[in-house]
Amino acid sequence: MNSTTTLSPLPAAAPAVTAPTRRNQAFTRRWRGLVVPFAAIVLWALVSRLDLVNSALLVSPAKVLDTGRELLSSGVLWLNLRASLARELTGFVIGTGSGLVLGGLLGLWPRFNRIVGPSFNTFKQISLFAWIPLISVWFGLGDVAKVVFLSLAALVPVVVNTADGMRSTPATLLEVARVYGYTRAQTIWHVVLPSAAPAIFTGVYLALVYSWLATIGAEYLLVSGRGVGNLLIEGSEHFRMDLVLFGMVAIGLVGWLMNASARTLERALARRLGR
Amino acid sequence: MTTTVTTDDLHIHVASKRFDSSQSTDGSLQVLQDMDLQLPPGEFVSIVGASGCGKSTLLRLVLGLDTAYDGAITLGGEAISGPGLDRGIVFQDHRLFPWLTVEQNIGVGLRNASFNAQQKRHLIAEHVALVGLEGFEKSFPHQISGGMAQRVAIARGLVNRPRVLLLDEPFGALDALTRARLQGELQRIWQKERITMLLVTHDVEEAVFLGDRVVVMQPHPGRIRRIVPVNLPHPRNRSDPEFIRVRDDVLADFLAPDRRGPSDVPPTAQPSAAIGFSSERIRFAW
Amino acid sequence: MASTLSYRVAAPAASGRQRLQGMARGAEPFLLPIALFALWAVGAAQGWISAQVLPSPQFVWETLSDLATSGDLWLHAQASLQRVLVGFVVGSALGLLLGAAMGLSKTAEDYLLPTFNALVQIPVLGWLPFVLLLVGIGEPLKYILIAKAALVPVTLGTLQGFRQTPATLLEVGNVYGYSRRQQVLEIVVPTAMPTLFTALRLGFTKAWLSLVVVELVASSEGLGYLIVYGRQLFQLDLVMAAVIVVGALGYAIDRLLDWAEARVAARHGARPTPKGLL
Repeated sequence: MNSTTTLSPLPAAAPAVTAPTRRNQAFTRRWRGLVVPFAAIVLWALVSRLDLVNSALLVSPAKVLDTGRELLSSGVLWLNLRASLARELTGFVIGTGSGLVLGGLLGLWPRFNRIVGPSFNTFKQISLFAWIPLISVWFGLGDVAKVVFLSLAALVPVVVNTADGMRSTPATLLEVARVYGYTRAQTIWHVVLPSAAPAIFTGVYLALVYSWLATIGAEYLLVSGRGVGNLLIEGSEHFRMDLVLFGMVAIGLVGWLMNASARTLERALARRLGR
Repeated sequence: MTTTVTTDDLHIHVASKRFDSSQSTDGSLQVLQDMDLQLPPGEFVSIVGASGCGKSTLLRLVLGLDTAYDGAITLGGEAISGPGLDRGIVFQDHRLFPWLTVEQNIGVGLRNASFNAQQKRHLIAEHVALVGLEGFEKSFPHQISGGMAQRVAIARGLVNRPRVLLLDEPFGALDALTRARLQGELQRIWQKERITMLLVTHDVEEAVFLGDRVVVMQPHPGRIRRIVPVNLPHPRNRSDPEFIRVRDDVLADFLAPDRRGPSDVPPTAQPSAAIGFSSERIRFAW
Repeated sequence: MASTLSYRVAAPAASGRQRLQGMARGAEPFLLPIALFALWAVGAAQGWISAQVLPSPQFVWETLSDLATSGDLWLHAQASLQRVLVGFVVGSALGLLLGAAMGLSKTAEDYLLPTFNALVQIPVLGWLPFVLLLVGIGEPLKYILIAKAALVPVTLGTLQGFRQTPATLLEVGNVYGYSRRQQVLEIVVPTAMPTLFTALRLGFTKAWLSLVVVELVASSEGLGYLIVYGRQLFQLDLVMAAVIVVGALGYAIDRLLDWAEARVAARHGARPTPKGLL
C-alpha cells in the first residue's frame, strides 16, 4: 500500500463577495479614520482665524507648523530628541539585559523564585515614579539618574514576561525531552527558551514602550539636561502653546514609530519561529 | 511464539502499581495488578481496555517515566530504570515542537543519539520517506494536518531504531477516516521494520487489526482479563469473516454482561464511539 | 494521554523533618526583605551612609507615626484618594461609553479608533503642559489627567470585550430571532462582563499610578506632594514614609480588586486574566 497518495482537499466554497468590492470597502474604512483629526484641525484653524476665542493660548495650526519648521531647521528639535532617545535606548538595553537575567533565574530556579519572587512582585506594584525623589538624592538630577530610572522601567516587564514564559513551558513537551534523554541544559536551551520566546519578546516590546513613556516623565522630574520633555516644560512655562503642541506631536510620532516597528519585528519573528 | 530469551525480549511484570489518592479509604488507589506480559522481538501486541483501566500507566512504566511500582520490567534482560533511546513512544497528542520543522522535529529524537551529523541526516530522510511525508520536510506543525503531524510523531519515535515502540492511543485524536488510513500506514511500517510494538487503545477493531495478540484489560484495578491471539495474515482485511469473528469475540467482553469471564467484576467500561460496527445484536451493558 | 488518571496526592503523615521543611518553605518569601531591612538598620546605625542619603529605619518609623498621629497623613491621603476616585470614575465612565460605542458599531470604530490610538501614544505627563495651559494648576488638572490615564485601558478593554462575543452564541440569538437590542443586552453585554471588569481594574491601577506622578509634579497636597516636599527639604525620612504609605495603599487596593475580580469571574465561569504586565 503506497502511502504517498493523499486525498486532495475539497474545493473551498466560492467567496461570497467578489474581490473588487471587498477592496473598496477596506479602502473606505481606512479613510474614515482620518475624518476626525481632519475635522478637528479645520475647526481649530477656523476658530483661530475668526478670533472666536479670546485667549493668548489659542495659536493657529499654521503657527504650530511654523514653530515646528523652525525647531527642525535650527536643529533644536533633533538635539533634544536625540538626547531623549539616547537615554531611552541606554536605559532600555541595561534594563532588558538585566531583566532577562533576573527573569531567567526566576523562571528556571524554583528556590530563587520563592525567595526573590514575592519581594519583586511587591516592588513592581509601587509606581516607579515614587522612587524618583530617592533616585535623585542618590544619583543627582542628570543623565545618570534618568538612565537608572529608565532601566527600572524597562526591567519590570521583561522580568515578568520572561519568568512567566519560562514557567509556562508545556509539560507535554518537557516530557518529550525527558523521553529523549535531554540534559537539563539541553532542555532549557532547546525546549524552554524557544517555547518562551513569544513571551520574552512581548516583555522586550513592553520594555521599549515603557521606557519611552518613562523618558518623558524622567525629564519632568529630573529637570537638568536636554530632552523632548524639557521642550514641553519650556513651552508651558513660557505659555507657548505652539511649542507644547508640537512637542506632543513629536512624542506621539516617536511612540507610534516604536510601536509599529516592534509589531513588524514581532510578526517577522513569529513567522520564522513557525507560528 | 518462542520462549527462549533473546536479546530484545520485553518482559513486563507489574505486581502492583498504586497512586496516592485522597478519595479512597486507605489513601491509595491500586491502578495495576498482576500484569504479566512477554513480548518476543518483532511482535505487535495491542492492549485494549476502556478509559481508566491503567493501560496508559502501564506504558509509562515501560517507558521509564515512572519507576514507582512493585515488579520488574526488563528489555533484553536489563531492568528498565528510566527513559532510554531503546524505547520509542508516540503520544496521543503529537507533542511536536511548534517552532521546529518536520525534519527538525524528527531530529529531536536524535539529539542524544550517537550518530554523526551525516548519519543523522540520512536517518531523518529515511524516516520522512517511511511515513510518506516527502516534500513536507520544511513545513511547520501548524501548517500540516493532524494526521500528518501524527506521522511525524511516528517517525520521531522510530528514528533512532528503538528496540520497542510504544504507542499510547496514537490515533485517538484524529477523525475516523484519517484514523483508518493511519492504521494501515502503521501496519505497513511495522511489516517493513519489524520493530516490537506495544499499542494501547480503546478501539477494539484497531487492536485486532494491528496486533498479533490482543491483551484485554479490565479496570479497578487494571489487570489482564485475557489474551486473544490473532492468527491472521498481514496485511489484515477488515472484511474477512475470521477477522470479524475475532473482533466480535473481543468486543463481547465490553458489551455483553452475560458473557463475562471468570472474574466477577462486571465490565464498567463503555465501548468507545470509535468502534464502527452496526449490529442490532448489541445489548449495551450500562 | 486521555486515559491518564490524575489523583490528588494525599498529604502524607508529616514527619518531623517534613514539617521543618514546610516551615522553611513558608519563611522563604521573607528572607530577602528581612535581610535587606537588617542591612538598612545596621548601615544606618553604623553610619556607613549619612542620614541625608538614607535615614535609619527608626527615624522613618517616627516620622510615619508623627504623620499619623498629627492627622497630616490622613489629610494628604484623603486628598489623593479623592482625586483618584473622581478621576477614575470620570475616566472609566467615558471609557465604557467610548469602548461600547466602538465595540458595537464598526462605523464608530472606523472613525474614532485611529484618533484614539494616536492620542494614546502620548503619556499622561506629555499631556500635562497642554492641560496645564488650558485649566491652570488646580484640581481640574489632576482630575483630567487621572481620567485620561483611566480612560485608555478601560476603552480598549471594553472595546475588546464587546468585540469578542463568541460567534457561536450570536448565532443562537440569530436562530431565535433576537433583535439587535436583545442581542446587545442579553448576549454581548453579559459575555463582556469579565473583560469589562478586568479593564476597569486595570484602569484603576493606571489611575493610581498616574496620581502619584501628577502629584509629584503639580500639587500642593497629597501623598505625591509629600514625597516632593520631603525631597526638596532633604527630609528623606518623610520621602520614605510617604513612599511606604503609597506602596501600602496601592497594595491594599490591588488585593481588594483582585478579590472582587475573582468573585465576578467565578460567577461568570471565566478564569481571571493572568497577572501579566499590561
